[in-house]
Amino acid sequence: MMPEGRSNRLMRKLNKDKYLLLMQLPCLIYYLVFRYAPMFGLVISFKNYNLFKGVWASPWVGLKYYRTFLNSPDFFELLSNTVLLGVTKLAFAFPAPIILALLLNEVTATFLKRFVQTVSYLPHFISNVVVASMVLTFLSPSTGVVNHYLKVLGFHPVNFMSEPGWFRPVYVLSEIWQHVGWETIIYLAALTAIDPQLYEAARIDGANRWRQTLNITLPCMAPTIIILFIFNVGDVLDIGFEKVFLLASPAIYSTADIISTYVYRVGLSQGNYSYAASIDLFTAIISLIFVFTANFLARKFSEHSIW
Amino acid sequence: MGKGFSLLAAPILVISLLTACSGNNNGGGSASDDNESGNVSTPAPAKTDDPASTNTTANTPALPDKTFSFLDISHPSWPYDQNWLVWKLLKEKTGVSFKVEVPSGLMADALSFAIASGDLPDVMYTEDKSLADKYGQMGALANILDYTDIMPNFKQWMETYPNDTRNAIAADGKMYEFPNQGIGETNRMIWMYREDVFKKLNLSPPQNWDELYTVLQALKKAYPDSYPLSWRDGLAYLLNFGASFNTSRDFYYDFDTQTWKYAPLDDNYKTMIQYLNKFYKEGLIPPDFLSIDTKQWQDLMSTDKAFITLDYIGRIDFYNTPLRQDNPDYNLLFMPPPEGVPGSQKNAFTQFDQAGMMVASSSKNVKDIMKYFDFLYSEEGKNMLSWGEEGKTYTVKDGKNVFNPDYTTVADLRKKTGLSTDGVYTWFDYDAHLSLSSKELASAYEEARKYDSVQQPMPSLTQAELDDTSVEMTSIQKFRDENVSKFILGTRSFGEWDKYAEDLKALGVDHVASIYKQAYERAMQAAQ
Repeated sequence: MMPEGRSNRLMRKLNKDKYLLLMQLPCLIYYLVFRYAPMFGLVISFKNYNLFKGVWASPWVGLKYYRTFLNSPDFFELLSNTVLLGVTKLAFAFPAPIILALLLNEVTATFLKRFVQTVSYLPHFISNVVVASMVLTFLSPSTGVVNHYLKVLGFHPVNFMSEPGWFRPVYVLSEIWQHVGWETIIYLAALTAIDPQLYEAARIDGANRWRQTLNITLPCMAPTIIILFIFNVGDVLDIGFEKVFLLASPAIYSTADIISTYVYRVGLSQGNYSYAASIDLFTAIISLIFVFTANFLARKFSEHSIW
Repeated sequence: MGKGFSLLAAPILVISLLTACSGNNNGGGSASDDNESGNVSTPAPAKTDDPASTNTTANTPALPDKTFSFLDISHPSWPYDQNWLVWKLLKEKTGVSFKVEVPSGLMADALSFAIASGDLPDVMYTEDKSLADKYGQMGALANILDYTDIMPNFKQWMETYPNDTRNAIAADGKMYEFPNQGIGETNRMIWMYREDVFKKLNLSPPQNWDELYTVLQALKKAYPDSYPLSWRDGLAYLLNFGASFNTSRDFYYDFDTQTWKYAPLDDNYKTMIQYLNKFYKEGLIPPDFLSIDTKQWQDLMSTDKAFITLDYIGRIDFYNTPLRQDNPDYNLLFMPPPEGVPGSQKNAFTQFDQAGMMVASSSKNVKDIMKYFDFLYSEEGKNMLSWGEEGKTYTVKDGKNVFNPDYTTVADLRKKTGLSTDGVYTWFDYDAHLSLSSKELASAYEEARKYDSVQQPMPSLTQAELDDTSVEMTSIQKFRDENVSKFILGTRSFGEWDKYAEDLKALGVDHVASIYKQAYERAMQAAQ
């Protein structure tokens, strides 16, 4: 009797929400077609993939391509470059929009607030190709503005894009410049959701603005921050390929060559699709481990987490 | 996220692309032309129902009306136009018209989508021969050599150009892409110098790299914020520098010792890098030479910040024509390559073109397509696709073809007529392009031929060989590029060169060289 009763209840529920569910359908289809279905393509990483024969007719090779990658002389450097770049980006580019949101929140002149917001999120719409060429142009030691002013101020010109040590700072700073405004939007939204009565109460208790930020604003933003942080941890290994590829040159491979640029060279330029797919799956699995760990820690030390 | 993941989505994309494209193409174009061929073909009433039938026209001079689908590239400077004169001429001569699809993104991607979808156009264009070899060996493309008995012109062409024929053959001894000849001249790369500046400073073009050094110093002294020797695309130009050092950039065939070598291990290569290091230290080349792109290079060249450069030969007119408007003296000319090591004064052989057309093995018209291409290898086809139509695009004066004055440059000619655009050349008379060039450029072509090096063989690797070497190749190239950059920038000292060579070898240089050797010997045998 029990199962029938339960399914009846389910039917009733479905029936009640049918329009809501219907509205969900396009989203579901999108994910199935463009996110889940392509995952079957991962089998090519276990096969000697032949584009014309297709996925199923290509012969199985087991873990051959995974072993090749782990044994490749570049493996360690690639992995550490990727992790270091990802972690640096996380450490500096993640807090930036939070700080900007907090600062904007303190600004009372609406015009100024709007102006700063608009100016800071516009770069988000510039394509990476343009951003990379802007960076290269500005930092160029022969024609760039930055070195021009360094010289005027009496410093030695710096060959930014040929010195491995400069790559990470340049990359992370350009990332912040490009996305800080855009990512601020979500935090500003979180800020508007805070109950103004809390601030009033705090003011009556004699809390100054700093105290209010520390004891009301930040705790109220915490769920948003933590969830976005977990998302960002998942992307540590999945740094945007485009900009790194466009900024890197052989002289700075020792810091700028990351897994995705390697995948491009070996996978697309040399047509080794199976190998590229196996590296992709490999990084995806590591990313998944990162997300799980971050989520686990978040759940353990705060009450907020994705699941 | 990654490339592999999206492969399954590809067919869906392609199908939607194809259906979208065919809507605005001249699908009905052939129907309107039916009348023309109808006049000449047998007037039997039964035939009118079926104008597309091709088998019955064998003994009439009439040209059967055929339409092939064609995945072709559209160049941004002369975008594909279905009304180009060249399509009309081809139709008149061969009866063939094309239903052209133009990919919106990269050609290589469009090809792999088409192959993965299994629904191939009859004819496809590729910029890169290795793609033709790859897809051909998978079975997607027709082997051109199987049809030579119906291609008398092509057969004769192959005898005339054994080298170009050999380089078009894939690792399995078959040919999947139509070789081209003649148009590769546009890819010729040379040294160039600012004759007006040299004259002003009383300098003459350097004969060797030591003189190059002193000339560069003199230029730097006269223009302190210049980088007298500039080029674009970083280390790629080591190929061009290397020719005068009797070496190359990558794996190459040494004709003297008849062995396969890896250039970055050569002693001469080291000498070349030492020169570049010296130039870098003294600011004779741009400090950011590794990342200078085309735009930055053009800025240097047009603002008196660079006076010697290497690039495609056509750059002579590219710079001279517009820059003389402001500076009538501006004069960029051909410069003989400075001798690097004694006895070697050469330009790298770049005057070939790997692009070409491929025929789908699944096409129902393979034989007809082959016959069509055979025409392109006839003298008549060559002349038509190089010069167009007599009276309309060119006239004959004193036994020489001359373009009508409506065409000012090659780009202009291409844009207006479609002649020598991608997909409509195989065998090309380069005099056609030469006749439109300035006298500086024409003389550069003449001079440059004196410094030709021998064309490198391009052996094709089998899929197994590619699999076997691609990971090693990636590591080798990375290690080389990184370290050679460091040697030039001075962040690694030449005292460590031996260590560098040792480490490089350890990455598998000998193994890759042996694969090239094997592939080369196979190609030599196949060609016999």
